[in-house]
Amino acid sequence: MLKNKLRILVSILAIIFILISVYFALIYTPPHEIMGDVQRIFYFHVASAWISYLAFGVTFFAGVMYLKSKDFKWDNIAFSSAEIGILFCTLGIITGSLWARPIWGVFWRWEDIKLFITFVLWLIFIAYLALRANAKSRTSKANLSAVFGIIGLICIPFSFGANRIWQQYHPTILVSSEGSLQPSMALSLIISVIAFTFLYIYILLVRVDIEKMKEEIDKLKQKVGG
Amino acid sequence: MNAVKAIFLKELRVEFRNKQMINSYLILSLMIIASFRFAFSIIDFSITELASPILWISFFFGGMFSLSPIYKREIEQGTKEGLLLTPISPSSIYFGKLFANLFIIFCLELFILLLFFVFFPVNIPDLFSLLCIIVISTIGITALGNLISAISSNLSQSEVMLPVLLVPVLLFTVIMSSVSVTSNVFAGANIFDVLDEVRLILAFDVVFIAVGYLLIDYILEE
Repeated sequence: MLKNKLRILVSILAIIFILISVYFALIYTPPHEIMGDVQRIFYFHVASAWISYLAFGVTFFAGVMYLKSKDFKWDNIAFSSAEIGILFCTLGIITGSLWARPIWGVFWRWEDIKLFITFVLWLIFIAYLALRANAKSRTSKANLSAVFGIIGLICIPFSFGANRIWQQYHPTILVSSEGSLQPSMALSLIISVIAFTFLYIYILLVRVDIEKMKEEIDKLKQKVGG
Repeated sequence: MNAVKAIFLKELRVEFRNKQMINSYLILSLMIIASFRFAFSIIDFSITELASPILWISFFFGGMFSLSPIYKREIEQGTKEGLLLTPISPSSIYFGKLFANLFIIFCLELFILLLFFVFFPVNIPDLFSLLCIIVISTIGITALGNLISAISSNLSQSEVMLPVLLVPVLLFTVIMSSVSVTSNVFAGANIFDVLDEVRLILAFDVVFIAVGYLLIDYILEE
């Protein structure tokens, strides 16, 4: 009962904050002095990227907790969070590319460390989902995916280092700086990050519930089947 | 230590008893290098610049196929339960298999290197540095590859899942650094010029071995 109320509360908060953030991002803040209106995608782009990092972090943490406790509850959280993370990561990559095209002249720059790390994270968690789809039993699914989630996140700082070395030999094209954030822009950004965080929590709660129901159905099916 | 040695010798015996397997690794290496030669035969390219990525991609794919059966055959032949019932800790199994794998992959890489020089006649200013870097990077690749191979052996479609899991974690970490360092070596640097980068690769090795040591228990308990 309490959980349902919490879910409704979070969903209401998410809707309110999303409406506010749309107003702030599209109407309240003035257009960027160099980039113009194109820059407005920034508020949603940064927020999606932030949610994807948060979601993958949650997957890592839940994976560690699962290996410690062997409680499937943690595995459900890890999986749900990974799925949402991929969704927001994809959104972040798409909005980022749309923003990059008019500003940099290209959709993607391999030299950019943020883009590179986001892409590697995206690949790792796509592999994570593929691993889960191919597991043979419930326990093996939970165990192996928890281990792989941990390996994946451990690799990220190393990707960072590898990219730094790479750049020394493949010099980057100089880009114009993005310009400093005005106070109103910073405020809009904070609001949209809060809105997306509530949205993430809401989707996570729903997704975990769906996983739980799936498990219950499986149990019932087994009972009926004998 | 004895347990590690026993597993190491067992793995090598299994590998070398089945000569078909070794032969197919060697033939596969020939095919990989030949396909690269084919791909680059049409265009004009600078061999010193492309040598390092070609070499590492060949090592990666050649090595991957020898990583694949090392845990899987225990399951296929039903020897996994027996192995786990012996009074040997999972980490000893991991290290035994890791050393055996390292030995095989080193042999394979030496063979690929020979083929590479035949198909892509490139100047090497400092062979010793090149070999050192290959050895250091291979340790990291094999340490993580072994762990991922243990994971994928428990999955359905394990042949497909091994590369799917390996590419994101290996290609953008160890292999990317190794390619950068090796292209420097091809351009005339020696190992002391790229010491910082080599230190990073050594850090990979240490961390990946530690990760394997810590996590193998959870994978083998399946």
